[in-house]
Amino acid sequence: MKIVLVGNPNVGKSVVFSYLTGYTAISSNYPGTTVDILKGKTRLCNKECEVVDVPGCYSLEGESVAEKVASEIIKSNDYDVIFNVIDSNNLERNLLLTLELFELGKPIVIIATKTDIAKNKGIDIDYDKLSDVLDVKIFPVVATAGIGFNFLEREISTFLNAPELPLPKIQIPPDITEKWKIIGEITLKVQKIYHKHPSFLEKLEEITTTPTTAIPLAFILIITSFYLIRFIGEGIINYIFDPLFNNYYMPIVDRFSSLFNEGFLKNIIFSKNMTPLEGFSVLTTGIYVPFVVVLPYVFAFYLILSILEDIGYLPRLAVILDRLSHKIGLHGYGSIPIIMGLGCKVPGVFSLRILESNREKIIAASLLFLISPCMPQSAMIFAILSKYPLVYTVIVFIYIFGVGISASYVLNKMLKGKADDLFVEIPPYHKPVFKNLVFKMRLRITQFLFDAVPFVMGGILLINILDIFSILDLLSKYFAPVLNKIFSLPAQTSSIVMLGFLKKDVAITLLAPFNLSLKEIMVSCFFLVTYMPCLASIFVLLKELGKKITFYVIVFNLLISLIFTFIFSQSLRLFF
Amino acid sequence: MKTNLAKANNKKLKVVQINGGHNILKKLNSMGIFEGSWIEKVVSYEHGPIIVKVMNSRLAIGRGMAEKIMVEEI
Repeated sequence: MKIVLVGNPNVGKSVVFSYLTGYTAISSNYPGTTVDILKGKTRLCNKECEVVDVPGCYSLEGESVAEKVASEIIKSNDYDVIFNVIDSNNLERNLLLTLELFELGKPIVIIATKTDIAKNKGIDIDYDKLSDVLDVKIFPVVATAGIGFNFLEREISTFLNAPELPLPKIQIPPDITEKWKIIGEITLKVQKIYHKHPSFLEKLEEITTTPTTAIPLAFILIITSFYLIRFIGEGIINYIFDPLFNNYYMPIVDRFSSLFNEGFLKNIIFSKNMTPLEGFSVLTTGIYVPFVVVLPYVFAFYLILSILEDIGYLPRLAVILDRLSHKIGLHGYGSIPIIMGLGCKVPGVFSLRILESNREKIIAASLLFLISPCMPQSAMIFAILSKYPLVYTVIVFIYIFGVGISASYVLNKMLKGKADDLFVEIPPYHKPVFKNLVFKMRLRITQFLFDAVPFVMGGILLINILDIFSILDLLSKYFAPVLNKIFSLPAQTSSIVMLGFLKKDVAITLLAPFNLSLKEIMVSCFFLVTYMPCLASIFVLLKELGKKITFYVIVFNLLISLIFTFIFSQSLRLFF
Repeated sequence: MKTNLAKANNKKLKVVQINGGHNILKKLNSMGIFEGSWIEKVVSYEHGPIIVKVMNSRLAIGRGMAEKIMVEEI
């Protein structure tokens, strides 16, 4: 038996899915989380059932990526029963899809979610009456708390055991306006809305959407989030992962390496220099970078992000940033990957998925790499410039942001087409549910481990091989005169540039022993931040957007970086 | 008085016409915005998006699209 789970975006479909299958589908409080199709198995009425979580859609005639995928699955006819999930807070709007599903002539069951929230808001729905009017079974549940699911499972089993499943009987007009008319009449019959005093969350919704309060609050929230991410990430590194690595892991690797004789094989596995971040050993640097350096930040970042998501803040942030984003060819949603990139590029690249057109993905990816020094980088820039007055640090950051914005402004003009208009549902705020948060974090961290880690380790192995064959030295040598002539940087810094590819913030701190002048430090900081995305993010980008787009993004990135480093170096010359 | 959604001053608005292509029409229709439907303008960002209340949900609409939605202020 094959069941499809169909509903509007953000109705709690993924939560229903995870209760039915025990599988952990990701769910967030913003529309359109599920673009990948999730499948799971469950036993209902002693039958093996396959459950397919179809991406959320408002209508079967929709045009977005998620909606097209959804309508393709639903129209394929390759299933036995439809479970239509509807949000009790939005009965009227949800019923459009329900009527469209009725037209398909397939057996259908309705699961009404968020019934508790609706009740608190003064929305009173007579589910029995609705069931009568639509002539279909309806199960009200509180998906996040799991209430109603025992009953649901039993009832569904009885329903599925019937020799012949009943088909929807009511007549549906083909025209959408006519459908809305019928829906209006039905809603009037079954739903009563009582006026209630706005709850705390509703008041919060108000002040975070009214421009005069929303804009400063967004600013404060972003700053606080970054502070928290850095605090958590650094804490995990300094107190847990780094000591674990040095005290327990490294001794094992050391002992392991002593089993090998000096030679080619040993060089491949352990590289010439085994110290993590200095050599390219897949067993030391290859483990240290993804697990000790990146994972803690990814964890901290996803934690804060998941909480903001579950509350329902992100679409509001998209609204606030929409006007600004339009100038550089994105709509408000495009700012989300950029914000994520300020934490770490890896989740930033993953979140490019929420954008629809390739055009927007290219612009957002380019901007992501140019504009946003990641958390560790920013920290190092602060550190290395800390002995000079703050104004120089500010200049470096303003220059980075300025270049990023101008570059995407240019890219926007270069690429055909125009930014799409923002069009997104603003969900009501929800209290985050701990269980849901754990589900989501687990899925995201596993995804990071399986998607990004092999790429990073593979990349380090590759660079090590290039190093062994002296190709890296050769590149460094070619690069030195460029650095020297164009940016007036000492030739030794070229080795740092090569290293920066691996670990950009460490590269910045390594500038310190060179006794560079203030001007040279500022120029190197800018160059090291912008010249190329770090290894981890390149590999993730490859996976997400493919070879061609990755290539273009990197070339554009390098070009812009070279030009603007030159300009920076020349214009600073005027002042120093 | 007839105006577009971006310019409208009132809160309660009746949609009278949608000057968009097939895609925009579909998008708006599926969210419950169609000729003859009632919407409520909740928030408007200067030169930015507009938030409307449709049925029981809130929807952010980019300014460009909002200018294509003709409404009657009543």
